Amino acid sequence: MKRFVKKWRYPLFRTLMLTAWALLAGFPIFWITSTSFKPDNEWHKWPPVYVSKNATLDNYRMVWPIHQTGSIFVTPDQKGHGVAHESVTANKPWHALKNSLLIALSSTAIAVAFGTLLAYGVSRYRILSDTRMFQLLVLRMIPPIVVAAPLTLYYSVLQLMDTASGLIVVYFITSLPYAVWMTKSFIDEVPREMEQAAEILGASRWQTIWEIIFPLIRSGVVATFLFILILTWSEYLLSFILSKVDVVTLPVQLSKYEGSTEGRVYGHQAALAVGITFPLIIIGIFIRKHLVRGFTFGMVKR
Amino acid sequence: MTLIEMKGLRKVFGRNIEAVKNLDLSVEEGEFLVLVGPSGCGKTTTLRMIAGFEEPTAGEIYIQGRLVNDIEPGQRNLGMVFQNLALFPHKTVAENIEFGPRMKKVDPETRLRRVREAAEMVKITHLLDKLPGQCSGGEAQRVALARTLVTDPSVFLLDEPLSSLDAKLRREMRAEIDRLHQRLGKTFVFVTHDQEEAMTLADRIVVMRDGVIEQVGSPLEIYGDPVSHFVADFFGSPSMNLIPGTLSQESGKARFRAPGLTVELPPSFSQAPAGEATLGFRPEHLAVSQNGGIFRGEVRLVEPLGKDTLLYFDRGGERPLIAVVEGTRTFREGDTLGVSVNPDLLYLFGGDGKRIRRGSKGTGIRPA
Repeated sequence: MKRFVKKWRYPLFRTLMLTAWALLAGFPIFWITSTSFKPDNEWHKWPPVYVSKNATLDNYRMVWPIHQTGSIFVTPDQKGHGVAHESVTANKPWHALKNSLLIALSSTAIAVAFGTLLAYGVSRYRILSDTRMFQLLVLRMIPPIVVAAPLTLYYSVLQLMDTASGLIVVYFITSLPYAVWMTKSFIDEVPREMEQAAEILGASRWQTIWEIIFPLIRSGVVATFLFILILTWSEYLLSFILSKVDVVTLPVQLSKYEGSTEGRVYGHQAALAVGITFPLIIIGIFIRKHLVRGFTFGMVKR
Repeated sequence: MTLIEMKGLRKVFGRNIEAVKNLDLSVEEGEFLVLVGPSGCGKTTTLRMIAGFEEPTAGEIYIQGRLVNDIEPGQRNLGMVFQNLALFPHKTVAENIEFGPRMKKVDPETRLRRVREAAEMVKITHLLDKLPGQCSGGEAQRVALARTLVTDPSVFLLDEPLSSLDAKLRREMRAEIDRLHQRLGKTFVFVTHDQEEAMTLADRIVVMRDGVIEQVGSPLEIYGDPVSHFVADFFGSPSMNLIPGTLSQESGKARFRAPGLTVELPPSFSQAPAGEATLGFRPEHLAVSQNGGIFRGEVRLVEPLGKDTLLYFDRGGERPLIAVVEGTRTFREGDTLGVSVNPDLLYLFGGDGKRIRRGSKGTGIRPA
């Protein structure tokens, strides 16, 4: 009996803790997904409706309209006739999605590319001292709101306010420290001799980086890319302050469903939130192999 | 013909870590040169300077008469096998071997042929489609050799390539490298800290210590005629018995004294300076008998190796005195035996660690 208890105590404890954590983390995702399928009369219902019996795609049709004309857009009603709607948020999500894709992907790509090269220099030639590397990280410790105010000043002078390039620049700068630190740890894992072997066999520096280093750190770079993409994709504060009229990103768009005239349109908001979240989850599933290898850091067999 | 020449080579790391101090050395074409010494003696640094991975702080390196100080490693026409092999883990064995010719823009057909030839030479054709991670230690070793020899370098540099293998495999690979050297007729520069590897492989051994060359010579010269206490101690297994004591000259006769031991030295040592000295003799040059001898003591440990038996005598010093006797004779721990040595096979080292040769007066330098 005693042995039985001993054997099961820790696995049981672990399972309980992890289950509790999974519920805690999973519930909001479940709730937002569930709400996105609810008809409007169930949004505020009490007791709450967990899984709607009248599930509908109306919220998605509203938020992600396929046919649209200006701020008026058309959704089919139950009989299949087109019904015209007008909304403060009309037409915007697709636009926001386009902005978010452009801004998040390009700023992440630039940050990871620059970061990897910089990390290579730091790892192999110590082009930045330990102090400098730490300072780079400190850059991330400054609350974004502190820099947001002065940035608006610079940006209005530089005419970067409300532009995609303005956001790309600021996201590039803020995510560069992560890119450098993360990729450096992967490059550090590649033995120097590997490069020297390539070098003495006649490879140029670029050939060495491209043929030897990059394939070996690819998993790490992919993990870094996704990590930064998630941060940039869901960044709200800087996007809200630096750009909210022309170039609206998805998180900012999401905050717009609390219109003073419409009240809280939970269903639409939820449909948009699902639209924002799921692409990331799908990407994550596709590159799971890389993530596991990248995040466990054990990628090079010595 | 001299293939590699190093003149006044010096390497300082950081502010004042002098890894190599003023080294002059030339490597002849086709020879198997072994750089040997304890860790930190500068042997690997020297090799890496030849390869071009370390820039000399001072001095010049010539390869085939060409000054290579400012020439990139890839342009020196060298091949190197690294201590950790540094095979590319994401490329197959064939791709690993092909890498060098491909970088040198050899056409695909020739490349394929040369990969095959190299693989055949080290007997790894069955591994060509595998990844290095799927190869055993010895196989990976062969792959590293093939990757190097496929580029047809003028010199092979090998940096302790066998250190990660177990004893049996190490002997096997040693023979393999030896065979390769004979077959290719190329120049090999091999770094190791293992004296046995040095003895068995080398045409010429360079013994290094603290960044300087202690002695250069053939294995037998190094073994039979060491220039210093250090070299005498480093080569041979079991190593030479070295007994610290004092040398006195009494009425034309040199006499060596150490606790529990007095040895009358042959007349050829009559010129040797009196004072601190170390007496050395190889374990295999000792004879044991029930009576007599320069030293009598109790056998503390008997180590039968089959053909030979090692006898350990406790002398009260740091190291036991070791004698090698034929395995057919039986001894027991606790036996008291006499040990004698042929006076012609004695080595004498001065207080400065330098060898005092017969008929010489020694250097007369005392350690501070």
